[in-house]
Parts: sequence; structure tokens; C-alpha cells
Amino acid sequence: MKSRNILLIEDNPDDEALTLRALRRNKILNKVTVAHDGAEALELLFTEGSDVPPPGLILLDLKLPKIDGLEVLRRLRADERTQFIPVVVLTSSKLDEDIIASYRNGANGYVRKPVKFAEFAEAVSTLGMFWLLLNEAAPEFVHHQMEGRHP
Amino acid sequence: MVCVDAGGRIVLVNAQMVRLFGYPREELEGQLVEMLVPDAARAAHPQHRTGYMADPVPRPMGAGMPLAGRRRDGSTFPAEISLSAIDTDEGTLVTAAVRDVTERQCRQDDLERAIRNLETFTYSVAHDLRAPLRALGGFTAALLEDCWDALGEAGQGYAERIKAASEQMAALIDGLLRLSRLSRAEMNLHAVDLGAEASRIAGELQRGGLDRRVSFVIQRPIWALADTPMIRMVLQSLLDNAWKFTSRRDDALIEFGTTPVGDARVCCYVRDNGAGFDPAYVRKLFNPFQRLHTAGEFPGTGVGLASVRLIVERHAGHTWAEGAIGEGATFYFTLNAREIA
Repeated sequence: MKSRNILLIEDNPDDEALTLRALRRNKILNKVTVAHDGAEALELLFTEGSDVPPPGLILLDLKLPKIDGLEVLRRLRADERTQFIPVVVLTSSKLDEDIIASYRNGANGYVRKPVKFAEFAEAVSTLGMFWLLLNEAAPEFVHHQMEGRHP
Repeated sequence: MVCVDAGGRIVLVNAQMVRLFGYPREELEGQLVEMLVPDAARAAHPQHRTGYMADPVPRPMGAGMPLAGRRRDGSTFPAEISLSAIDTDEGTLVTAAVRDVTERQCRQDDLERAIRNLETFTYSVAHDLRAPLRALGGFTAALLEDCWDALGEAGQGYAERIKAASEQMAALIDGLLRLSRLSRAEMNLHAVDLGAEASRIAGELQRGGLDRRVSFVIQRPIWALADTPMIRMVLQSLLDNAWKFTSRRDDALIEFGTTPVGDARVCCYVRDNGAGFDPAYVRKLFNPFQRLHTAGEFPGTGVGLASVRLIVERHAGHTWAEGAIGEGATFYFTLNAREIA
């Protein structure tokens, strides 16, 4: 099976570096693309003829410049090309309203970035493990991905 | 107060109405009451008036909708109006007690603005304040993992301190958010057996600390009207504290029970025979982030007891404590919450 990419949507360079380091250290070697704000993420995902294949997992921060995480999520779910891609919200807050809004807009999971690095690393690696290896992706999505890649 | 007859004509006004609406008495009496109604609501008013005449039970006007009065100069003010009827020789008269609530409206607006600001603040604390801490903790961990030898013994110690401090600050921020959430959260009152809840928590503590020898004496049942998740937090904090502060005793005893106090509906206590505290500082115990022990003696953030007080006060109760150094501590709380009819 072709290994699937991860799209990390994260504006904070420190969190980006820590997330990438956590993935590497836990031997998750899937290619990671980073978008630094919501607009860049949508451009990456929706630009026709883009050479970036659709990701197998999106890690999404909520508080982002330009277009925020919830809006990105709404647009992903509204588009048939991205509606079934697993999206896990990976953010600072555990406010009830953020968690509820994320699920309401179609998030597959919600993980709070822990301050303890060991926990942070474990969270990131568990996410990669589950969504990229164990979880069965929606057939429509796989079908679409193949169509998109080999017209 | 304005008195109006069945035809909607003003029969009588008191001095307060003259002041409130800015009309001399003689310009009001004999006129249709609609002259006091703002333009936008005037056309519909006679119909409401007739409706009230058909069933003249005392009630507030407007069914919860915001009301306003119209002054002589055309300006309006937010009003609260209650209606009632009296039977006289000249037929039924309706009296309307009108109150200007401008000031209350302003206070409410201020309050709503303050709450909105607080929510913005909370949001920012939850999202922005933790991020730099993650960087501090994360990169210090990276330093320890990748540069262990280069750091040397002193450097490793410093890095460990940075890591521990960032984790402590994260715990403080979480405490702050918890307090702010508790003060706003909606309450749902149910009958709760506090004794059963305390036993469950005691069981968890025992299972999590198999190296400790602690006896629990818990009264059961203790029924109280409370918000279940909140009151669990109170019991958890108090029992966690008792557990923590008895950690240096091998004959630790923790009691939970009730004691009759004044006219309180329920007064509970949690007593331990642990480290206790200096009674000179008893007044500071429940303040947020206040600690009476150093982190080296007993770890903590100083949020537990502050949350206890906040929750108990939301249940119309209060909290106090007794203790002495080396002689244990007793924490009391009363609950007086009533079902809102």
C-alpha cells in the first residue's frame, strides 16, 4: 500500500518543529506537508493540478491566521474531494466550546497539545499510527484519490 | 402609576408619572393612554388594552418583551410596567405601574460587556498562553535527549528545572481556566449521596497508592441537593488534599461526615491527621493560587481550595477550616441550595 501523506496545518513554528520531531522520533516516516495558515491549506488542497497528493490525515490547529481552523474544517467537509479525509484537531485549548464546535463541523478527533513533551510526542505518534495504519479510509475517498492521481 | 378607564382614557396619574413623562397633570388626564406609548408600538396598543380588559388579572405587561415609555418631548425610556384592575362605581379601571429601568439596563449592558471581555480573555489564555510553554518544555526535553553529554551535569539540572517550571505554569493556567469556567457554568441541582461519592473517590485513592496505609471513615448516606459534577470536584479536592497532607504518616486517618451547624441544611467536614497548617493563615487558605506549603514539602497549584469555595458559594453555602501544624486539618462546607420553583 502506498504510504499516505500527512498535512499539518500549524502557524506556530515551535509547534511545527515539535510535531515533526515527535513524528520522526516515533518512526512515522510518512511525508509531512505543512501549511502555515488556513488560506495556504485550502490552496494546497483545492488548487487544480497541484502536485501534492490528497493527504491521508490532516492535523489541524484551530487558531490560525487569515482563515481559522473551524472554517477550514467546514470547507473541507463541504467539498466532495476532501469530505472523508480524517481531520484531527490538534490545538492548545480544551474549552468546551472549541471541542463542541470542532465535532459539530465534522472533526474526526480532538487532541489537546500537552505541555509535557513526552505526552505531546505520544499523542502525535498515536494519531499517526491510528489514522494512517489502523483506520480504514472511506472507499469513496480512496476511489477519488485514485481517479485524481491517474485520470 | 396611571389609572385608565375601559375606553383607554387616563383617569388619574400620580406625581411620579408627571415627572417621568414630563407632562403637566392636566395634559394627561382625560387623554388616551396611547400618548405615553412609543410611536412604533402605538397602533397595536388599543388591541392589547382591550385584551387585558377581557381578563384583568394582575400581571407584568409585555410578556417578557422589552417595553418603553414615550416622554412629552418624544424621547423614550426603557420601562417595566405591571398591570392590575380595580372595580369602581364607574366600571373597571386598569392601573399601570410604570418604572424607568434605564439605569438597570445600563448596568446590564455593562455586565454583558464585562462577561464578553472575560470570555475573550479566557479564550486567549486557553489558546495563546500555553503555546510558549509547550516550546519551553518541548525544546528543553529535546535538549536533554539530543545534547545530554554536551550539557554536563549542571546543564542537565538547569534543563530539568526549566522543564518542571513550564509544566507547573501549564498547571497554573489550567487552574485559572477551571476557576473561570466554574464561576460561569450552569448548575443542575439533583439529590446526591455525598457519602457514596466520597467512598468512590476514597477507593480510587487507595487503588492509586498501594504503598500508603490510610484508613477512611465515611458516613453514608449523606443526601444533599447539588450539581453532581461540581460537588464531586469539591469532594475530590478535599479528599486529594487530605491524602496528600497525610503522606508522611503511617497511621493516616481521613474522615468524612456531617455535623449540625446553625441553620445550614447540610454541613459536611473532611478531617485528616496530616501535616495541618498554621491557623494564623487560615483566612488565606481558600484564596486562588495561595499556598501554605512550599512545593518541595507538598506539590500543588493553590487552585483546589479556591475551586471548593467557589462551588460551595454557588450552592449558597460557605467554607471554613480548622487546624494546627502537625495536628491535622478539618475542612467544613455547608450546602443550602434549594430547588428553584
